[in-house]
Amino acid sequence: MASLGKNEDVLCTSDGIESVYNKLVAQEEEINNGLETLLSRQCHLEAKLRGITKVLPNLQIVHSDAQQLAEMITFTSTLAENVSSKVRQLDIARSRVSECQQRVHDLLDLQLCSDGVQTALRNEDFEKAAAHVHRFLSMDQHLLKQTADDVAEDCTSVTNSFSLLHEAATQLGAVVTQKFDEAVHADDLASVERFFKIFPLLGMQDEGLVRFSSYLCSKLKDTALKNLRLALETNTSDKRANVIYADTITLLFEGIARVIEIHQPLIETYYGPGRLLTVASYLQRECDRQSKRILAEFSKCRHLEKIVQQVNEYMRTNNVYSKPTDKLDPKELDLLLGELTIMHSRAELYVRFIRRRVMNDLEIGVPSGDTRTALVSELEAMLNGSELCHRMQELLSSYLLLERYFMEESVKKAVVMDSVEEGSHTSSMVDDVFFIVRKCIRRAGTSSSLDGVCAVINNACALLETDFCEVLRRQLRQGYPSGYLDLTQAYSVLHTSIQQGRLQASDSEQARLMFLTYLNNADASTEYTDTLRRSLMDEVPSVLTTMSENERVKLESCLSGLGSVAASLKAVIDYGMEQLRVIVIKPRVNPWVDTFLSVSHQLSEEDFANYEANEPFVQNLIMNLDGLLGLFRGSLTTSNYDTLVSILTAEVTAHLEKVVIKSTFNRLGGLVFDKEVRALVSYLTSTTSWSIRDKFARLTQMATVLNLERVTEISDYWGSNSGPLTWRLTPADIRQVMTLRTDFRSDDIKRLKL
Amino acid sequence: MEDYKFLFKVVLVGNAGVGKTCLVRRFTQGLFPPGQGATIGVDFMIKTVEIDNEKIKLQIWDTAGQERFRSITQSYYRSAHALILVYDISCQPTFDCLPDWLREIEEYASSKVLRVLVGNKIDREDREIPAHVGEDFAQRHSMYYLETSAKEAENVERLFMEIAAELMEQARSKELPRYDSNSPTINGRTTVIGDGGCCSRMS
Ligand SMILES: Nc1nc2c(ncn2[C@@H]2O[C@H](COP(=O)(O)OP(=O)(O)O)[C@@H](O)[C@H]2O)c(=O)[nH]1
Ligand SMILES: [Mg+2]
Repeated sequence: MASLGKNEDVLCTSDGIESVYNKLVAQEEEINNGLETLLSRQCHLEAKLRGITKVLPNLQIVHSDAQQLAEMITFTSTLAENVSSKVRQLDIARSRVSECQQRVHDLLDLQLCSDGVQTALRNEDFEKAAAHVHRFLSMDQHLLKQTADDVAEDCTSVTNSFSLLHEAATQLGAVVTQKFDEAVHADDLASVERFFKIFPLLGMQDEGLVRFSSYLCSKLKDTALKNLRLALETNTSDKRANVIYADTITLLFEGIARVIEIHQPLIETYYGPGRLLTVASYLQRECDRQSKRILAEFSKCRHLEKIVQQVNEYMRTNNVYSKPTDKLDPKELDLLLGELTIMHSRAELYVRFIRRRVMNDLEIGVPSGDTRTALVSELEAMLNGSELCHRMQELLSSYLLLERYFMEESVKKAVVMDSVEEGSHTSSMVDDVFFIVRKCIRRAGTSSSLDGVCAVINNACALLETDFCEVLRRQLRQGYPSGYLDLTQAYSVLHTSIQQGRLQASDSEQARLMFLTYLNNADASTEYTDTLRRSLMDEVPSVLTTMSENERVKLESCLSGLGSVAASLKAVIDYGMEQLRVIVIKPRVNPWVDTFLSVSHQLSEEDFANYEANEPFVQNLIMNLDGLLGLFRGSLTTSNYDTLVSILTAEVTAHLEKVVIKSTFNRLGGLVFDKEVRALVSYLTSTTSWSIRDKFARLTQMATVLNLERVTEISDYWGSNSGPLTWRLTPADIRQVMTLRTDFRSDDIKRLKL
Repeated sequence: MEDYKFLFKVVLVGNAGVGKTCLVRRFTQGLFPPGQGATIGVDFMIKTVEIDNEKIKLQIWDTAGQERFRSITQSYYRSAHALILVYDISCQPTFDCLPDWLREIEEYASSKVLRVLVGNKIDREDREIPAHVGEDFAQRHSMYYLETSAKEAENVERLFMEIAAELMEQARSKELPRYDSNSPTINGRTTVIGDGGCCSRMS
């Protein structure tokens, strides 16, 4: 009604009344419809209600059924409980019965055993006797006595059997031990193995393992002594003479490996897995004794101690006091170094083999847990604490000392014997030095010791970064003799004399050649260093085979020392280049560029035409620069030459900028200057593989400014109109350059918004 | 490129058994290892720490103390930024060997290396070297001094963090990597040649 009441004036017109009436009719219709739908549902609801009333009594029935079911279930569960407890009782009873049976069996067997063991012993059938004892040992003697007591109230016969069997066991143990020893003495392997198998039946596992191990040790010892004797008798002309001790110690390791290979199955079968550690520990002690002997002979025959002492002394006195005569020629160490690394590598492989074998055996034989952890530490302590390992660590230490000496002295030799060959940018020492360094690091790799390789890499880095860089720097420090007017001539003289294979050039000519050669040496060394680093990162892991992630990072970290070497070499190159800049480039280039001032850039149309035909300034400059660069082009490595061009470019542009600021221009002069800059850029670009455009950025932009028609034209290039152009000139620079144009009004320049 | 601003090499030296490995384990793994074997050769560990919101990667080289490993361990001195010389405050002989260790350091390490003397095992009741004796020694040889216990985690974090902070400070003030022809560079990234009056700086 709200809609009606609000607009009372609507009712004043017949139209209004009609529309209100229509609305009311529509509402009535709607309400009628609603009522009808409600009514139509009535019948449906009634049917539902009827249904529910009908079902109600059934509920009662379901309820009582459910109750009954619950009672039944409770009953059943109690029943089941009863049954299962009966089953449990039955089970206990049954296990008692079987225990009883076992005991009866035991009692019966006891009799059999005590009779049988006697017979077997008499017949020397030790296996049978041992089997009886073994059966007896598996019985619970205390319980048996009790049973006998309970059953017959008399245990004398059982006790008798016990003492008899105990006695037999002891006797058998003694006999088997004796027989075993006899078999060892007679070197009768079949009998040794026969009695070895009997020990565990008698509960004498430890005894058996110890005796068997010492038997194996005695075999190893015999072989080792024989091999060492043969080694000592080897003729020095024999082709294995240089590595005879490495060969001998290898035979020892292989012998032990073979012993384990052959006898491990026997031990595992008769003693069970998890026993190898005991045997390996015994074998290790023998290995320690025999390797010590071999190493002692090695040290004696190769004069290792004397050499180490000599080298140590030489290194300690820092080369000052030792006369060249008592200095060891590094070449003489070559073979010894090789043998040392082979020995170390073989020991490393041997220790890895033992570790792997014993670990596998422990994994099978000992359940993981504290016991196994303890045994694993015992294994590690046994190996790491072994005399072999200590001696090998000492050996590696000697090797590293001698290798360092070898590397340092060989490098010194290469430096002393340095020579320049015709047609080569570098001198011989670069190839030689990097050959030596690579050889030493590779040799360290054959020791199979990452610590060894890393130490040699560290030593190599020290050598290259200090000694070697110092050699290069020392040469460069002697300077590049100046005297430009002679230079062209000097070069031709020098080149002809080199071509004739004789270096007879004058001192300064030779000094120049050496300077450039050493600059090239530094450049080539940079490249060699990078190559070395990259190739070792692949090579070393492939030689050492098993490397953990941590070890890989360790190696990488040591190799990064070569990165420091490269940086030091770069500093050497910079040092040399700086000399060339100060001594050669700057004094020549500046006067050439200064001639810009003597050429007017205030040109009439006629001047312009003339000028364009000759371009006197820039063509002269290019000719001079080309003459200068030509002196170096053939004598420097590509990279060094490019560096030189870059330095030259920097000098030219810096100085030209200064000179331009001192000149004045008109429009045509600006145009000429633009052409001159372009000509320079194009010449220098053609002479190097590096981009020099960037160095010309400011000059090119100055030319653009000087080449404008009007002051305001700058807005075509500035700010939002600059496009890809990045301005290197500041607004102040631009204003300053504009003032060089005599035809630009300073008011216009001042008014510019930049 | 890994995410760190500085990389420093720290090398631990000193007699076997003074607790170098325990110090490193305590710092890098936060534990005191029970009955690990003696170090063989050189062990290598990395830990990245943060100081003033800068990530610093510490490369820690834990060396074996015995004579027979000397030619391996010596090769690490030259490139070290910091050397930690450790002795056991309950064991006089380890203190008595310090001059020998200093001789080694003089011979092989850079003259610019940061040197720290550490007296370890202060948790022990049977101290043999009073703190002031260690401190005196350190002062006489211009070394930093700190007493630690790897077992009780005392001063271990501080030891390494102060080294990292000091090295960062040095690196920032460009003191760290200088080249002079007598002592080797310890860092190739910024080498200055002090020769003939012209310098060039690498980056
Ligand atoms: N009480 C005590 N013992 C320590 C401490 N640090 C190390 N040790 C023990 O000293 C022995 C040698 O430790 P280790 O770190 O292997 O010495 P390293 O040879 O210098 O590496 C081990 O038995 C450690 O448990 C310490 O702070 N306190
Ligand atoms: Mg250690």
